[in-house]
Amino acid sequence: MIRKIFLIFKRDLIVSTRNFITMYIIVVPIIFAIIINVFSPGINDTTVEIVLLKGENQAQEDFFKQFAKVELLDTIEAIEERVIKRDNIVAVLPHKTDDYFILTQGNEPEYIVDYVKYLTTFEHFDIGMEDSMAEIVDYGRDLPPLKKLMVNAAMMFSAVLGGMVIALNIVEEKTDNTISAIHLSPVSRLGFIAGKSLIGVFIPVVGTFLMLLITGFKDINYFHAFLMVATSCIISILIGFIEGINNDDVMTAAGNMKLLFLPLFGSVAGAELLAEKWQPLFYWNPFYWTYKGNNLVLSDSGTWIDILTYSGLVLGISMLVFMVLAPKIRKGLE
Amino acid sequence: MKLWYSFTKELNLSAKSWYFYIEMGMAVVLLLILIFLVPEKFENRSSEYLYLDLPKVVKDQYREALLEKDLDESSEWVEVKANKKNYRAELYETDESKIYLLENMEALNAFSGSERVPTVHVHVNKDSQIIHTYYLQGYETQKLKNLLLVFHNQKAELDVIDEYSDNIVVRSIYQNIEPLSDRQNLIPVFLTFNGSLMSLFIISAYIFLDKNEGIIKAYAVTASSVWHYLLSKIGVILLTSIATTLIITIPVMGFQPDYLTMILFLITSGFFAASLGLYITSFYKDIIQAFGALYIVIVIMIMPNISYFTPSWDPDWIKIIPSYIMLQSFKEIISINGNIDYVRVASLGFAVLGLDIFVLANYRFKKTLTL
Repeated sequence: MIRKIFLIFKRDLIVSTRNFITMYIIVVPIIFAIIINVFSPGINDTTVEIVLLKGENQAQEDFFKQFAKVELLDTIEAIEERVIKRDNIVAVLPHKTDDYFILTQGNEPEYIVDYVKYLTTFEHFDIGMEDSMAEIVDYGRDLPPLKKLMVNAAMMFSAVLGGMVIALNIVEEKTDNTISAIHLSPVSRLGFIAGKSLIGVFIPVVGTFLMLLITGFKDINYFHAFLMVATSCIISILIGFIEGINNDDVMTAAGNMKLLFLPLFGSVAGAELLAEKWQPLFYWNPFYWTYKGNNLVLSDSGTWIDILTYSGLVLGISMLVFMVLAPKIRKGLE
Repeated sequence: MKLWYSFTKELNLSAKSWYFYIEMGMAVVLLLILIFLVPEKFENRSSEYLYLDLPKVVKDQYREALLEKDLDESSEWVEVKANKKNYRAELYETDESKIYLLENMEALNAFSGSERVPTVHVHVNKDSQIIHTYYLQGYETQKLKNLLLVFHNQKAELDVIDEYSDNIVVRSIYQNIEPLSDRQNLIPVFLTFNGSLMSLFIISAYIFLDKNEGIIKAYAVTASSVWHYLLSKIGVILLTSIATTLIITIPVMGFQPDYLTMILFLITSGFFAASLGLYITSFYKDIIQAFGALYIVIVIMIMPNISYFTPSWDPDWIKIIPSYIMLQSFKEIISINGNIDYVRVASLGFAVLGLDIFVLANYRFKKTLTL
């Protein structure tokens, strides 16, 4: 039985490589990883942004650069145009005499304007960091939270991709009429499903591990990571089967794909942006628990019990979905 | 005339297909999410954790200063959880942050060490000076650290500093204009991805479906040209995206947006995305092969979202990604006094670029037909 399951898996792997799809899907997490690495240096820049008139006051420019992201533009018009853009950049411009005024768009948070006001004042009175009454201690954790968020979302993406390979493989089996051929072979239906599912776990696991290594998450517990990725694949696999069985053409499958991305992005947005009281709205969503579990894995702060709880929740929801979908899958494969 | 006939035929066919209804259903789902699940304002106040390790008199002064900033000028005792343990904390809520005063160093360490949030230990040194020790994680920039240091300069607390700073004039370019709410701010994201960018993927799926059925080859023997066929496909997709956009926008935004400009922008940006989809499609035999390339393009297009939601991160290179311009344009369209000139220039750009890519795609399709 096990041998047959692996035979189906091996065949799927070979067929997929022939179509380049597996290669693509393994490569996509690596591309993600590289992009995330390119992003990260900029992500850390979470300080004040100031735009100044080029060459107007070199000393002021040098002073601001110690504390803020400074942009320099040639004309007042260009500065006005810059200030009205979506971000919270504010301008410090020369006033009538030797003092300065602050130009804002009007919707910046008050603390940003206050920061810039004080920085302008400190520069005026020549106040630097030398007599500071503050000390800074850090834990030496150089992976920023936004990088963690991106890697987490990319991990879930990889799991969804695994499901897609299954959907595409089944659509292909259907067009080639090989499913009926399988029924004549000694492989049981369960064996067939298990064999087909393996690729949906294999691809995300390999992709995710490569991505974790490239993005610098080297010291995390890889067993925890495996557990989270493997359980999060189950729901994608189920959806992959259903999509593959229900769709005779890629057209409808393409439309349905959007439905899969919605709970994925929704769970990330919900967990990150919404207040505690809104969180129960996402409890039904396995991606939500995956996201939370992955967060613990990436910060290496989860115990075995935490990880087992989160992966258990994902597994439980997936099982419920499976119970609902099982008759359809069985019928679809007949 | 032939183009019109092709278009109406395509429209008739799509009205019978699943795709059309999935799109409409999706728009309604997004609308329901916006109205019922997305609050007007996200919880984006930062949480600050402090431990005041100070003599009672100084501590009381500190508390009084916090009370002045508190929204209802009173604090409350709450339980906060860190590293699986509950700690008591006094909570002060201001417009921009929730400030928790912790009771001991153990609680402070639990928050900075396990919960990985920045914390501050306020204590007195041997010279009786009040010192703020910031416990950071390590990924923060030197600029941010410098900012914290300079704000605690001994001289920064002098009255003359406050006086000078209070007298700095602040001028706003837009005065008395209500910025978009968090819910309204999500609309550009939905419109960019549900409308403009899905065109890229859907057109490709459309073409492969027809390719499988030999429709493209059939076109070669009809009086109609390939570009009629391609353009009528794009037309159907544009019409669908206009309909879905209106379904999402009207109930949330009412009549605030400039709908004429919105439709113009939807047509040009959708035309660009669909032409790009066509061009990519022309290189592949079936959707499984095209999938990878389309997928990478879609991932690149998703990136500007990060900058949209995190405005402090806005590198120059991300600004040339078309979806960045789409997000910005949709935002200008739905804002009061939005920069409509920006949208017009962007529309022109997408129209010209879309046309170029369309010509290229048409050339490629003609070529592959004869292969």
